[in-house]
Amino acid sequence: MEHAYLGIDVGSISTKGVIIDKKNHILSSQYIWTQGDPIGAVKELVRLLEGQFDKERYKIVATGATGSARKLVGTILGATMVKNEITAHAVGTTTFYPDVRTILEIGGQDSKIILVENGVAVDYAMNTLCAAGTGAFLSSQAKRLGIEVEEIGDYALRSTHPTQIAARCTVFAESDLVHKIQMGHPREDIIAGVCNAVASNYLNNVGKGKKIVSPVVFQGGVSKNKGVVAAFERTLGCPVIVDPNGHLMGALGAAVLARRGSGRQEFDFSVENMEFRTREASCGGCSNHCEIICVYRGDQLIDSWGNRCERGAGVH
Amino acid sequence: MEKQIITIGLPRAMLYYRYRTLWRVFFQELGMETVVSAPTDREILERGTALAIDEACLSLKIYLGHVAALVGKCDYILAPRVSNFGRHRSFCTRFEALPDLVRNVFRGEKQKWLSYEVDEEMKRAGEEDALVELGRSLGCSAKAAKRAYKAAKKAELAEHKARVQKQEQLCRREGMKVLIAAHSYVAEDPYMGRAVTDYLKRSGVIPLRADLTDRDGALKHSRELSPTCKWELNREILGGIALRRGEVDGIILLSAFPCGPDAMVNELITRRVKGVPMLNLVLDSQSGTAGVETRLESFIDIIRFQEGKL
Amino acid sequence: MAEVKMRSVSFPQYAEYSCAFKYIVEQALGCKYVVPPALTKRTMELGTKYSPDFVCTPFKTILGSMIEALEAGADTLLMTHGLCRLGYYGELAEQILRDLGYQFDFINLSDYDMSKKKEYIRIVRRFNPKVNYARFLVQFMEGLRMVEYVDEITCEYYKNCGFDPSGGGYKRAYQDFLTAMRTAQSRADVEAGYRAAKRELQSIPLDKPQRPLRVGVVGEFYTVMDAFSNLELEQKLADMGVEVHRWMNVTNQFLRYGSGQKNLKVKIQDLCQYDMGPTSTANIWYARECAERGYDGLVHIKSAACTPEIDVMPVLQNISADYKIPVLYLTYDAQTSDVGLMTRLEAFYDMIHMRKKVL
Repeated sequence: MEHAYLGIDVGSISTKGVIIDKKNHILSSQYIWTQGDPIGAVKELVRLLEGQFDKERYKIVATGATGSARKLVGTILGATMVKNEITAHAVGTTTFYPDVRTILEIGGQDSKIILVENGVAVDYAMNTLCAAGTGAFLSSQAKRLGIEVEEIGDYALRSTHPTQIAARCTVFAESDLVHKIQMGHPREDIIAGVCNAVASNYLNNVGKGKKIVSPVVFQGGVSKNKGVVAAFERTLGCPVIVDPNGHLMGALGAAVLARRGSGRQEFDFSVENMEFRTREASCGGCSNHCEIICVYRGDQLIDSWGNRCERGAGVH
Repeated sequence: MEKQIITIGLPRAMLYYRYRTLWRVFFQELGMETVVSAPTDREILERGTALAIDEACLSLKIYLGHVAALVGKCDYILAPRVSNFGRHRSFCTRFEALPDLVRNVFRGEKQKWLSYEVDEEMKRAGEEDALVELGRSLGCSAKAAKRAYKAAKKAELAEHKARVQKQEQLCRREGMKVLIAAHSYVAEDPYMGRAVTDYLKRSGVIPLRADLTDRDGALKHSRELSPTCKWELNREILGGIALRRGEVDGIILLSAFPCGPDAMVNELITRRVKGVPMLNLVLDSQSGTAGVETRLESFIDIIRFQEGKL
Repeated sequence: MAEVKMRSVSFPQYAEYSCAFKYIVEQALGCKYVVPPALTKRTMELGTKYSPDFVCTPFKTILGSMIEALEAGADTLLMTHGLCRLGYYGELAEQILRDLGYQFDFINLSDYDMSKKKEYIRIVRRFNPKVNYARFLVQFMEGLRMVEYVDEITCEYYKNCGFDPSGGGYKRAYQDFLTAMRTAQSRADVEAGYRAAKRELQSIPLDKPQRPLRVGVVGEFYTVMDAFSNLELEQKLADMGVEVHRWMNVTNQFLRYGSGQKNLKVKIQDLCQYDMGPTSTANIWYARECAERGYDGLVHIKSAACTPEIDVMPVLQNISADYKIPVLYLTYDAQTSDVGLMTRLEAFYDMIHMRKKVL
């Protein structure tokens, strides 16, 4: 049997998974919404992946988990590698684009930039304070304007005179937007303005002081938005690559990292039928009241985390 | 052959609003020419925003935009380090950082910079000595530099006195008066506080400025409101409020997001100055003025309502 | 006044220095010291609730700590002066606490001209009019000695604790040292505690590679040193197997800066002509020092809206470009989460780790 590797990326908005062979070819891939239930999403994802997967020919020997719910999902799946999403994205992208120099990423809550030299990440930055300019901001503005998130790109590309929108802070941006709407700016111009604001806010915050060198790869949910892609290309003066599998890069990176890692544990598809539950416990050890997350398979506690000190170690 | 006249660039931001006359006359007296960047516009704001660290205050973003507009267009650009005039007479640390900040931000440019240092508390370096030294570094004699400074300081003080007198006249006029408590570079910048003054005038309200009062008196009176306030510019504003609070119908605390000293001093003012309507207005890089105008309109309505005129 | 009641003094919780404040207040000033309760989420909630929005985060932390000290029975609060906004913390905090209805005596060093010797005597007399000033000075210096010991041991601890194979022996030795300092009542206690800690730490054999990953930490005076405020950044980095180096502490910045470190400024003349802020010169110098020593990365720590540290960032960006050393910039506010920090730190670690293998 040939060896295969599973990578799963569970973010706040979507859950992604891939299975690759040892030459990094994708054998199976899936993308679904997390909908606030990472455990349910992962079980569903595993079921979908299994459907595309040739179990006669391959067996999964290592599993990698990444994304904001990596710890939880790693526990449930018995992952051999649990990595943060920044590293996973860098590894995934450089595996498929060995020449890449700059990776831009804008997701639902976070945005980041990774600078690469000779296939290795050499510098990175992440958004500091606010969510202005992330996917959550874009979708809330789309809602305010009464259009679907998926339509933003087409609207933006129709605009000839993008409206200026203040973008530093979500609160300021929203009040500015409301006034622009009331002043009668055409909708496509406002939408193009929002896209420009997302790009310039990103470059002024996350990209500040970073030398952006081509080839540039743009990833994350917002990279599906043609308006923001165009805004980046205009501002940076170079083409911006958006891979159709861009949304899978984190999962791919997790799979590659699992392959490179030393841990080996055959993956059991039966998790899709097991019962998992989590329980939140508040530690009374001190007034920090750390929220401890306990994960159970059936009635058995398989892991817990969240305490800031040893005092909470025994609380389940 | 005619000798080339040395040109000195003055970014129209931050301390320019306090020292424009001092600087202009000083360099003119030394036979040099000053070049001032154009009033703030969208391009200046955007260039400044792209150059500044995102978390920096709006005033610094605008300042860097003005510096960028002057780079390559004059022999020198002036960026002084004004730290303090003594104990409890300090400036925000940003004014200490400015000369090195611009040198680091514009490191790739072949621009020459001019600075002087005012730090009486730590180094006993006063403004006069610092500017005389600056003049000498530009090839002038100490005597000429001293003469230029005296003339410049006289012109600066005369201008300030005239502006204070104009405030006194406005104060004696009939009508609703609102005191704007803001740094001069916030109050007078077209992309920050100017819209506030303009709106008040259009609405038939007389705008007064807290910082345009006799400076010595203001420093003394600032102690009534805050005994340990350490920032010269905020003490002038505090003094102005202490002196004028009985003569105005309302006070607008106007600051640029997120101004460090204002964040604290304005909190103290709202806790200690009672009995006069107050509006706390924080400006960020909004491209429109509609949001500000709505808040001003309702503030004026509240005053009129309280005074039974609505 | 015939009889003066003994004061119960408190100073806001700050890094590991409470032991020295306690020593000075109790031994040198002859007052009772109320150790402010350890900083917790509640401290931050209290501080944030009553502070203005855009004030720097340490103000919120300190205000919360003052409230908890008053609840714990303090009747006298001490607040320091300072060169940045810190110098105004006292007056604003006092006003907020008075508006909340607390009764206490407030000794604000910003009220005094700290360049004059006479003022120090006035301050000491306010704490306790019966203090013998000469004896006070001796014991005050002992308190400062304690500060130096705390800084020295802390520095050694973070450099090595990531390479302790004994399963927590190193950490226990450090905790024991801090306990010894908290309970010290004489110079002999201080010296004994320090010597025991040195001995204990040196006796643990470390499992450290020839060339470990080394990271320099620079940043804002309060947040860079206070483990609660920076969410135990140094411990987290160390636990990943990193040698953590930090120059900034009370000893280096205040006790030795004047005598030994004045020349730092000369060494960075090509980057900076003047002092850009109260701790900027030291931070810029140390950042470049780490880069020149070939460290694998730098972490720059500041609280949200810290003006001087924002202004240092363009210089750090230039150092980063010149020496090709990655810098992780971290801004802390009251909402900063452990999870968010961990993601950034893990990625930073992975990056410098992989980079090192290639370079």
